[in-house]
Amino acid sequence: MIISDRKLKARRRKDNSVKGIILSFSSVGLLVFASILIYIFKTGGGLVGYDLLISDYQDFNTDVIVNEVSGDFTYSSTLDDDEYYSNKWDVVLTDTKDREGKDIVVISYIGENSPLRDVSDLNSIVDSGFVRVNIPINSSVDSIILDDYDFIAFSKFGAETMVDIMNMGTSIDSMTLVKEGGGIRGSLITTLYLIGLTLVIAVPIGVFSAIYINEYARKNKLTKYMKTMIDMLTGVPSIIFGLMGAAIFIPFVNGTIGTSGGSIISGALTMAVILLPVIIKSTEEALKVIPFDIRTASLSLGANQTQTTFKVILPSAIPGIMTGILLGIGRIIGESAALIYAIGASIKDKVILKERSTTLAVHIWTAMSGDRPNFELASAISIIILGAVIILNIIAKILVKRVSKVSY
Amino acid sequence: MKNEFEIKDLNLFYGDFQALKNLSLDIETNKVTALIGPSGCGKSTFLRTLNRMNDLIDSCKISGDINFDNNDIYAAEYDVIYLRTNVGMVFQKPNPFPMTIYDNVAYGPRCQGIKDKRILDKIVENSLKSAALWDEVQDRLKKSAMGLSGGQQQRLCIARAIAMEPKVILMDEPTSSLDPISTQKIENLIDELKKDYTIIIVTHSMQQAARISDSTVFFLLGEIIESGDTKTIFSNPSDKRTEDYITGRFG
Repeated sequence: MIISDRKLKARRRKDNSVKGIILSFSSVGLLVFASILIYIFKTGGGLVGYDLLISDYQDFNTDVIVNEVSGDFTYSSTLDDDEYYSNKWDVVLTDTKDREGKDIVVISYIGENSPLRDVSDLNSIVDSGFVRVNIPINSSVDSIILDDYDFIAFSKFGAETMVDIMNMGTSIDSMTLVKEGGGIRGSLITTLYLIGLTLVIAVPIGVFSAIYINEYARKNKLTKYMKTMIDMLTGVPSIIFGLMGAAIFIPFVNGTIGTSGGSIISGALTMAVILLPVIIKSTEEALKVIPFDIRTASLSLGANQTQTTFKVILPSAIPGIMTGILLGIGRIIGESAALIYAIGASIKDKVILKERSTTLAVHIWTAMSGDRPNFELASAISIIILGAVIILNIIAKILVKRVSKVSY
Repeated sequence: MKNEFEIKDLNLFYGDFQALKNLSLDIETNKVTALIGPSGCGKSTFLRTLNRMNDLIDSCKISGDINFDNNDIYAAEYDVIYLRTNVGMVFQKPNPFPMTIYDNVAYGPRCQGIKDKRILDKIVENSLKSAALWDEVQDRLKKSAMGLSGGQQQRLCIARAIAMEPKVILMDEPTSSLDPISTQKIENLIDELKKDYTIIIVTHSMQQAARISDSTVFFLLGEIIESGDTKTIFSNPSDKRTEDYITGRFG
């Protein structure tokens, strides 16, 4: 066949223009994703760090008093240039700068037997006396008043002078300590608790359901409906599950364990329901790729159904099941709507299973709601969540590759 | 002469379709019986009735008697696990479990509750030796069985069946997916095994049936057309259809 040069050129032009349109459409998605990444890294990148992960959310801001002492301690490590040790109080004060660049003095070390381990909070008094508090490391010291106002030290004097003045006195009447909060340690721990508890509930139920549907159940209408229902559950918006959690699980947990209102336990129950279809589906997929031959081979050797399932089928399906679990963990880390009801949105430093708490994702919601949304913190938490989800997905991909390498 | 299986008036239905029609047949102990016939004639289905693998198919209905050791294996109180430990099976496609060679062979005995390491070691060694595979795999028993060649995998499946010390081994076209050299090895093995086991083999190859079997059963459309001594059937068949099939006029 002879095709004219003109026609060939026109066809090539058309081909290229279609390619161009497809490329520009597909790059829109990439661009949006990239701009989200750039935004959160620009806003929250500076805040992300070990410090954010381990510090409390609540500010520590209090005056403490210390009873009379006459100690003589020694410091075993060597001191840096800006560190000063008080052998009377067994503490190290350090000159440093705060986040805004102001000069401050912080307590960077409190000895094992230091009198500062046993302090009372001036601001909180109960019938039996003052309430004990623990001084967090790296709290900044604003001022110290010693021996009935005989000696007074301020942070503007610097750490060296402060230590000198401290060494003159034998009791502290008032020591003003400040530690900036805003950390996410509590939310991080809540998230970890929630992951553990949810998996403990959802994995056995999900895996055994999948085994029942795939290995034991006869292929009849009932199993067909069951499968359709499970497929539909995957598409239900999580806020509806959250409502269910509030309507069923919170009263259930309140009644059985004796909590009041939302708790990590009711949150885990809600999350488990959300995860069930995910785990059932991935386990089913893993079981489906195992050839039927293997099952007949096992049965022909005089094994019964249970032996076949647990000795041959399940071990081969474990990488697939693991993939489902990892994707499930990603879902727990990212879930927010359902958990606002089920766990609550109160940020806690002391995490208790039976009490309200906040996961990382809900922490973002809390940070952004209110009059002054905290974009910086929200972005920083987003980075942490994204990082965790990406790592989980990579591990899941590696596992999938390992499964497909096993040829039957 | 003793019979391992005595089959009387066996009918088998898949739903409405009758796959086996009024079969009656005796299978002799310690002989190789070949089942031949064109595709879809019911020979594999028949083979699977002998260790009740058809139980797995919901729509399958069976009437008639199959006696093994003078017991009706389709009787309600008959223990199917007992049957399958005594009637082993080797399949068309090699189907080792995705585990080590050792675990493959030890699987059956373990399922019956044998846990003693020394007994299992002995069973594995003897079974692999009987399946003429020991020399090739003895230094890699703890490696995955998936790394073996197709022929080795099929002999492993035979070893796995032997490990149960069955009386009968059913073979469903065991060499159809193998190359000529592996096929020959398995044929030699079958010749060895018939001293200790009754072997029933489904095959599509006339030459194979003639080479290895003592008696032959010819199936056509779910019926047994002719059965008897292999030499007689191949040299002097009594039915015209048998002769046509053996000489390659159809099938």
